[in-house]
Amino acid sequence: MAQDDILAGFVLDEVALSLEDLARACAVEPQWIVERVEAGLLGSVSLKAVEWRFVSADLARARRLAALERDFDANQELAALVVDLIEEVGRLRQRLKAAGLTVD
Amino acid sequence: MEFKDYYQVLGVEKTAPADEIKKAYRKLARKYHPDVSKEPDAEKRMKEVNEANAVLSDPEKRAAYDQLGSRWQTGQDFQPPPGWDAGFEFSGDGAHGGQAADFSDFFASLFGRAGRDSGTRDYQMRGGDHHARILIDLADAYHGATRTIALRAAKLDASGRVVTEKRNLNVQVPKGVKEGQHIRLAGQGSPGMGGGPAGDLYLEVQFSPDSRYRVEGRDVYQTVPVAPWEAALGATVEVPTPSGNVQVKVPAGSQAGRKLRLKGRGIPGNPAGELYLVLEVVLPPADTDKARQIYQSMARDLAFNPRQKLGV
Repeated sequence: MAQDDILAGFVLDEVALSLEDLARACAVEPQWIVERVEAGLLGSVSLKAVEWRFVSADLARARRLAALERDFDANQELAALVVDLIEEVGRLRQRLKAAGLTVD
Repeated sequence: MEFKDYYQVLGVEKTAPADEIKKAYRKLARKYHPDVSKEPDAEKRMKEVNEANAVLSDPEKRAAYDQLGSRWQTGQDFQPPPGWDAGFEFSGDGAHGGQAADFSDFFASLFGRAGRDSGTRDYQMRGGDHHARILIDLADAYHGATRTIALRAAKLDASGRVVTEKRNLNVQVPKGVKEGQHIRLAGQGSPGMGGGPAGDLYLEVQFSPDSRYRVEGRDVYQTVPVAPWEAALGATVEVPTPSGNVQVKVPAGSQAGRKLRLKGRGIPGNPAGELYLVLEVVLPPADTDKARQIYQSMARDLAFNPRQKLGV
């Protein structure tokens, strides 16, 4: 590829990820994703697994879950609880920022 | 390339048993957790810690590393001796596959898998996906832009050794992208093995900090300074916004903190975000006789008590 070629990618959310895409992006087996979706810890999908689609927020969440489970040998529910809290703190920080306030 | 003392990174003795390494790793993984840590270089430290753990928590890699280890010190210029890993067989990066892309040149030179696996012709495997962040300006989300990002990638040199190579990618940032969204670039991850396809590269979008704007999803907040008479009497003021200068009508009787909503002037999309202009009333300084006179006549003539709501 030439140095000055310009790469155009897809924005996730406009083009969503399949189950296999998400598993690869998190370096886990598809079954790992399936278990967490079925347990209600990841994504919000009710269709058959082949039709599942995942967006940016799911990718970020799945990578955090995988890292927590791996780094701390956390069980899946505990990892999901931590990620819930991380996401909530993220939302609150965003709102503080939008209100012109910051936390250290 | 600098030698890395993985024991020093984890803060353990060279004789530390596996459970002690695990404990030290978890302690540091908590300390430098990118979502939680307030350490300025948390992300960099976390990578080092992950890398050290990937070696020391794996008995095969640790044994091989130990064989080298005693002769080297942190920061020393390092080249692996020829055939240094003879007699060791690594069972791949399974547990850490997704992370290995982030590891140092030093790691790649010792444990890089491209070199080891290149001989197995009949074995095909897709390359790993990579993750990186791309920092853009808010204006880029409004208009779209091309940004160059520098990445490191492991590859084989002419003599079959693993080297890391810097490569620059020019990436098109599409108009309307939000913070936290990912841009997926197919085939820009690790090369595949034995003719397998390359992995993908995921770029997570972040906005560079800009004190003029605050962003929430596609909505943008911007503070607009106004004079007391503009707020009190109403006025049309010119405001520079991310999508260009606009004339904005400030309604009479506005107070500081009032939000003016400019529909669809947030980040473009379907639906586009809103732009909120937050009024900030700025007082002219009372630094001349004339100015002081005006303030004095207001004090005298307006009978205004700003603390009425406080009951005084």
